[in-house]
Amino acid sequence: MISPTQRILFWSIVWFCIVILSVPTLIVVGASVTAGNIISFPPDGFSLKWYGEIALARDLRQAFGRSIIVSLICLAVSVPVGTLAGLALTRYRLRFANALQVYLLLPFTIPLIGSGIGMMLVFGSWRILGSVWPVGVALAVINIPFIIWSVSSSAASLDGDLELAAANCGAGRVETFFHVTLPGVMPGVITGGLLMFVLAMTEFLVSLLLTDARTVTLPVQIYNNIRSIITPDLAAVSSVFVVIALLAVWLLDRLVGLEIFLKSK
Amino acid sequence: MNQSPSAGTMQAMRGEPPKVAVRVRDVTMDFGGGALAVDRASFDLETGRFLTILGPSGSGKTTLLRMIAGFQKPTSGAITINGRAVDATPPHRRSVGMVFQRLALFPHMTAAENVAFPLKMRRFNPKTIPGRVREFLDLVKLGDYGDRRINELSGGQQQRVAIARALVFEPELLLLDEPLAALDRKLREEMQLEFRRIQHELGVTTINVTHDQREALVVSDDIIVMDGGKIQQHAQPVDLYRRPDNPFVAGFLGVSTFVDGEATSDGLRAGGLTLRGTHATDISEGAPARGAIRAEQIRIDADPQALAGCDTAVPGKIHDVIFEGERLLYVAALDGLPGVEFRIYHHDPDAFDLYDIGAPVMIGWNARDMKIFKSVA
Repeated sequence: MISPTQRILFWSIVWFCIVILSVPTLIVVGASVTAGNIISFPPDGFSLKWYGEIALARDLRQAFGRSIIVSLICLAVSVPVGTLAGLALTRYRLRFANALQVYLLLPFTIPLIGSGIGMMLVFGSWRILGSVWPVGVALAVINIPFIIWSVSSSAASLDGDLELAAANCGAGRVETFFHVTLPGVMPGVITGGLLMFVLAMTEFLVSLLLTDARTVTLPVQIYNNIRSIITPDLAAVSSVFVVIALLAVWLLDRLVGLEIFLKSK
Repeated sequence: MNQSPSAGTMQAMRGEPPKVAVRVRDVTMDFGGGALAVDRASFDLETGRFLTILGPSGSGKTTLLRMIAGFQKPTSGAITINGRAVDATPPHRRSVGMVFQRLALFPHMTAAENVAFPLKMRRFNPKTIPGRVREFLDLVKLGDYGDRRINELSGGQQQRVAIARALVFEPELLLLDEPLAALDRKLREEMQLEFRRIQHELGVTTINVTHDQREALVVSDDIIVMDGGKIQQHAQPVDLYRRPDNPFVAGFLGVSTFVDGEATSDGLRAGGLTLRGTHATDISEGAPARGAIRAEQIRIDADPQALAGCDTAVPGKIHDVIFEGERLLYVAALDGLPGVEFRIYHHDPDAFDLYDIGAPVMIGWNARDMKIFKSVA
């Protein structure tokens, strides 16, 4: 039995965590609906005018568009690479599998500032620094361990005989991959893909090093604006970010949560 | 592309000579690391028959099955299915259906989609697929469950989907890789009879792999016993049980007691006793020998007169009495052989207190029931 004191202690801890985790978000969202001209919390009246402002602000809109492009490029690179790597590491007995795993997880062990400067130098010498797409590729590289992990854990829970069963049913290697293996790890691919998208949308440090005035992405643009003057439109932009992240979680729940086969086994 | 499901039965009706469906010749599998997983296995299986490969885990039985399915390539030897050498045929081009140990149903498909999958992959006419899926779901008594997802089905229902998936394309050969091992006893026995029924109905040649001797005896036309990668004996169930070729087979099927000693012309000498038996293998007098006798072939009685008809009757003592429900298991030793505990079935559970532990009794058997084998050093 739980005693009343234990119950009180338990709920205090729960509420403390909930508040600590959500307060920054609540403050930003709150500050974004202020009617005043300076960023403040609690907000000074209620208005959505700052959302109107950011919708009209060309630099923010363009930066947002670039961020979307960067994220999509990141997805286009990381989903096939991460899926195949995750599958290879779990489903096949590879020579040097351990070394390969360490190599693929390497981006985690290098500080972002280090990999950022490294990529800046490489991209600079290749003369591709002024474009948007190398940023997407760079974000795919630094975040690839997330999707590899996500696909690997999905693949590890698959029955090892599934592919043999498919062969026994008459499916060749390609048919087996598309009809059995890929649908089997789809929850991991979707989870990893959404994670990659959100991470790329919000990535700041490496993007800062790889972008210039023509290719600036949204997080970097926000940073640039903060340096001049802090206005409530930045809170509005941040709120948009929060909504994008929530959307991703909701999508994840709809797509993966609905797939009951996640629970099968 | 496939032969008719009832080819075996048809052939039998027409009185044609039986056709060899599967021929395995000197098949060896070497995974490296010392012992061979399968060591020169050879056998023929006639069309329409149900063969069980029986053996303990690590005996090579599953490896042999996987080589027939095409998942593993034999190190040497040849496998022929319906007269065609399949050594160079990849698994998806073999006309072989398999029920896997953990079933390996596709979790993202419904029961009907699982059953339809082999038909799609094997390019059956799309118009015929729904009807055929329906027919095979009916065959395994799952007619109303086609729309269910795999995880919405019970263990027994999943078994049935796996059987339907393995049979729906009318393979020349059905392989069963211990699919019943994970089921509880009651369901397992129900499914054993179900396998038997379906196999009879379709007449499909079947190879089943199991470590369950009871299952092997119940479902099979033929049994191969394997141990240490080698085929120990290939026989029909009754022959295998009654005339084991070696002590391993005698011990693996049923409950046997072994007595080591030296061979005589009509039995075995051990601990100063002469025990009557029959030579199961060619063995010279005086050679080291091992006798084997089954628990149900030993008689036990306090009254020496009751065992007058036995070829051997020796005084002994009861060591233990175990109640097994429909029968009693006595553990007893002969007076001259205290180290060998004979296991004896007594089919009268009401007589539980017939003999107490330590009670003196007569223990006897007939010469034909104790098999004398050459000792393997």
